[in-house]
Amino acid sequence: MIMAVAISGAEQIDWEQGLVQRARRGDTHAFERLYREHVGRVYGLCLRLTRDPAHAEDCAQETFINAWRALERFETRSSISTWLHRIAVNVVLAKRRRFTPKTESLSDADEPAEFGWTLDTPVEVGEIETAIAGLPEGARDVLVLSGIYGYSHLETAAMLGVAEGTCKAQLHRARKLLRDRLNVEIG
Amino acid sequence: MTRTHSTVVAAVLASAAAIAHGAEGSFEQRVAANAAGVVEISNVAGSVQIAGWDRAEVEVKARYDADVDRVEVTSNGGRTRIRVVVPRGRNSRSDADLRIRVPRASGLEVSTVSANVTARDVTGEQRVKTVSGNVKSEFAAHDVEVKTVSGDLWVRGKSEPASVRLSTVSGNVRLDRGAGEVDAVTVSGNLDLDVSPARSVRVRTTSGGLEFRGKLARGASFDAETISGDLSVRAPAEDGIEFEISSFSGDIDNCFNLTAERTSRHGPGHRLSGKRGDGSAKIRMRTMSGSVDLCDR
Amino acid sequence: MGSNDSNQQHGTATSLRELARSVTPPRDLWPDIEARLAQERAAVGGARRFGSLRPSRGQWAAVAAAVASLAIGVWLGRSTLPTAVPVSAGNTATATVAQGEPAALQAAYVSDPRYLQQRATMIRSLEAQLKALPQQTQAQVGASLATIRKSMQDIQSALGRDPGNALLQELLVNTYQDEMRVLTAVHEASDAGEEI
Repeated sequence: MIMAVAISGAEQIDWEQGLVQRARRGDTHAFERLYREHVGRVYGLCLRLTRDPAHAEDCAQETFINAWRALERFETRSSISTWLHRIAVNVVLAKRRRFTPKTESLSDADEPAEFGWTLDTPVEVGEIETAIAGLPEGARDVLVLSGIYGYSHLETAAMLGVAEGTCKAQLHRARKLLRDRLNVEIG
Repeated sequence: MTRTHSTVVAAVLASAAAIAHGAEGSFEQRVAANAAGVVEISNVAGSVQIAGWDRAEVEVKARYDADVDRVEVTSNGGRTRIRVVVPRGRNSRSDADLRIRVPRASGLEVSTVSANVTARDVTGEQRVKTVSGNVKSEFAAHDVEVKTVSGDLWVRGKSEPASVRLSTVSGNVRLDRGAGEVDAVTVSGNLDLDVSPARSVRVRTTSGGLEFRGKLARGASFDAETISGDLSVRAPAEDGIEFEISSFSGDIDNCFNLTAERTSRHGPGHRLSGKRGDGSAKIRMRTMSGSVDLCDR
Repeated sequence: MGSNDSNQQHGTATSLRELARSVTPPRDLWPDIEARLAQERAAVGGARRFGSLRPSRGQWAAVAAAVASLAIGVWLGRSTLPTAVPVSAGNTATATVAQGEPAALQAAYVSDPRYLQQRATMIRSLEAQLKALPQQTQAQVGASLATIRKSMQDIQSALGRDPGNALLQELLVNTYQDEMRVLTAVHEASDAGEEI
């Protein structure tokens, strides 16, 4: 049954939480609003992880369908964007496990500090994207989540299902490869 | 209060609300209510007037016709129910006029056949449904849904973001001071919508017309479709608009000095598409034979 | 957080954080998602409806799935239908104009048997349900349904001449959905009259 929500005059209306509540009751129009709000970020993440627009479309669709199924489990105090990204990463990894055996491994590396991912010289955006797309999978995954989408080591490791140390090592590797490909220093 | 005790209290209140058959009359009852509970109201004919107040109580005043069986008021577990009971088959003199005051943060669930509904100063979710009754609601809620078959809807917001869903078959719809998300659909009624800022607007009519005025927020989406009604949209947008208008045989007008292009060399069909400014807000409109007029100022 | 769409991103960057986080997909993914959701909802017994105590969840699920299937059918049909062919003397690819309601449905892009069955059931119940409504409402609903049916005929007639017209196909699907919405509203309203 519909539950009333107490709204005080000073309280800001939480848009998306309202949409989630309606979607939980089966309102697909509300879910569509969530889709329209977040599809860009979801597709952007899928595209960078899969490097293929068709796969990225599949990934984005599966993400929203899985999100619909998991609405009951969504904790309303969390960020919907982060939640959708977690689902998207799971979709990408599941498809990869199905089709690509894991072959890369990392030797132990010193744990680097968090990066700001600033370049000492401006570089063409297209060149940066190409360089990122050319990174090995593990390094690319952590760089996209951490460097572009701003997730912490801990969050990135949790999304990818790897140890935090592995995540940091991959970031270190990504930074080195990117530096070599773009011929810039990365701080 | 234990559950058994509260059930007994509710039953006592219900019996206190019973009315003798066969006589016109009036009725008044006040019950304690959850400050943010749900008030459920059902009436057949007559009127329902709802106002919010600052007490944790629901007050019901009713005047009713001879064929009204009773007015039931029960309150249990955060839900207060007010129900006008009319025996089946005896509808000729079954009007009941209800004046109801509810805690301001209450959610409302209202259902009538031909009774008109008015609501004001209530901030909880509103769900109002009538068959032919008209609905007039001044809402401060963030979630409002009003449905009617043939009644007219007049809904007024406070220019604060909300999700508003309005649906009629043949009634007219008017929304003033809306903001946020609006979903409005009718078959043959007319739609008059004022939404600023609008984040999402979906409109559908078969033969009814649409007049829309409102500022589109960054990244907003506006989708309108009609078969034969006329669409008039005045939608300025700070970050510009990207638009696509498709028409089979209706005219496409605009204030951009653009001419619609034909979509078929041999048959009818026109399309007008373009971008103004950053094109952040997306506008899409479709019609078979109605006219479309779009302007961003 | 930056939210520029990478479809529009040009120039240089001095930080990865400047790269666009949002990328618009090349096509709208929602229609496919919506269709899958409708199928899933039908599989689990349908969505709850506001205020409805009487209509069965199974019935709602069937309606939702049927209309979704109709939408899918038309969407798929768009990609396989021939492009518009000019009607001229000697051209044998002439329109299949609706001859009567069942024939119209067959000739149009409706092929889902669940939808056809559900629609037929609701139309058979319509007359009895309308009688439960106020007189004026009965007349207005009748007029609205007539408006919808006329629209269907007009669109189908135009589609007969231009079968590949995507706009007309979309309008037709939505008009069937409008009809279903009205039939459902009458069903709900007649129940409301009985309940209250």
